[in-house]
Amino acid sequence: MIIKVLLSIWMAVIISAAFLYAGAAAGFPGQTSRILFFHVPQAWIATLSFLLSMIASCIYLARRSVKTDHLALSAAELGLLFCILATATGSIFARATWGSFWNWDPRQTSIVILLMIYGAYFALRSAVPDPEKRRVFAAVYSILAFVTVPFLVFVVPRITASLHPENTMNPAKPGMDPKTLKVFLGSLLAYTGLFVWMLRLKIRLLRLEGRQEPEFVISEKLKQEGEKG
Amino acid sequence: MRSGRWITQNEPLTYLNEATAIWLRDLRGEFRTRYAVNSILMFAVTTLVAVSFSIGSFRIGEAEKPFLCSVLLWIILVFSALSGLSRSFVKEEEAGTMDVLKLSARPQAVFLGKLFFNLTLLGALQLIIVPLFILLMNYKIASPGLFAAMIISGGLGLGAGTTIVAAMIAQASARGALFAVLSFPLLLPLMITAIKGCERAADGMNTAGWPEVRIAVAYTVIMIIMSLFLFPLIWEE
Repeated sequence: MIIKVLLSIWMAVIISAAFLYAGAAAGFPGQTSRILFFHVPQAWIATLSFLLSMIASCIYLARRSVKTDHLALSAAELGLLFCILATATGSIFARATWGSFWNWDPRQTSIVILLMIYGAYFALRSAVPDPEKRRVFAAVYSILAFVTVPFLVFVVPRITASLHPENTMNPAKPGMDPKTLKVFLGSLLAYTGLFVWMLRLKIRLLRLEGRQEPEFVISEKLKQEGEKG
Repeated sequence: MRSGRWITQNEPLTYLNEATAIWLRDLRGEFRTRYAVNSILMFAVTTLVAVSFSIGSFRIGEAEKPFLCSVLLWIILVFSALSGLSRSFVKEEEAGTMDVLKLSARPQAVFLGKLFFNLTLLGALQLIIVPLFILLMNYKIASPGLFAAMIISGGLGLGAGTTIVAAMIAQASARGALFAVLSFPLLLPLMITAIKGCERAADGMNTAGWPEVRIAVAYTVIMIIMSLFLFPLIWEE
């Protein structure tokens, strides 16, 4: 509860600071560089949740506990949400700086593939009726999809040059204004906090849903009745 | 092929023996029904005819040809493969032979056997479609060696990336559509690489080192190794 309040205050501070405290970076038209405080943390969360989902899937395959599957599913759902947000904000930035909403920049290509992987993951989950099987298949697919990501990161950029601003991605590199850096790191923290809070809510929800509809109990009952009849 | 018996008792049961036995069994079944070959090949031929008829061999300018023809070729190959490769596992599920197969061979051997079968299908597909495509589209290839290597390594990757997905699909509902949906994100890096490689082979520039072929081979190896690890998990459920 207290986390929720602190988080909302922190988010409000960061959003105001993004527009009032930090200056617009040179080399970008108008105020467009302020997207850094929102787009980059969103992309970071999308990647983080993809990684988290994969790790949870690995642990699920080793231990077969429903809890880790809940973690994998929740991370994937939130990952999809943040992935859509990052795609949308990135696309607006592309319109403002490169002139068109969509031009298959390598970054845009890789985020579309990430979206497709998430979409396929949920399609697979909804298509397997048996819950145990569903969890195993989803975990296996999540790992397989993760394995192909390095090919995208290293292969696609080789093929066409990217227009994506790189130096703003990496705060360790010189060239970022100290004020900007402060707000950027604060924003990363805020988004990560938001992600953790939402993730915990989602996991709780899944646990409650699981408690509410005990599918295997019903099927056992039906089986017994079938045997009697 | 020993008459009627897939595995003889005298030989030690290695993974490769078992895999070969499953491969030969599938091939024999395929020779009898010709279901997978017919569906994949007819799909590919239909698409090829549609492309060739609507574009023709002279509509695309010479400068654009290496790239555009390579894109069209790989779209035909990938989607033909996606139309029928899931058959190898779906037929086991439909015929009810899944359980017997689970009892009679180790999971890795089953995977390898099905992989060999899918690769055989893909090889047959490419053997027919690629020359036809080159003829119909008047596609000139400056570096045939690289082109052949790219087609073969791309085909290997295609088989390696889809076989394990086929095994999952066979046990799910809504099989047909789901196979393409699940396979496509996994295949996209390979497809982009293969398109680039064939373009390079066609225009004959910067062919040194064959980087795309090496990427496709790396993709194949990684997918096969990951599948060998993961396949027992989905097979023994």
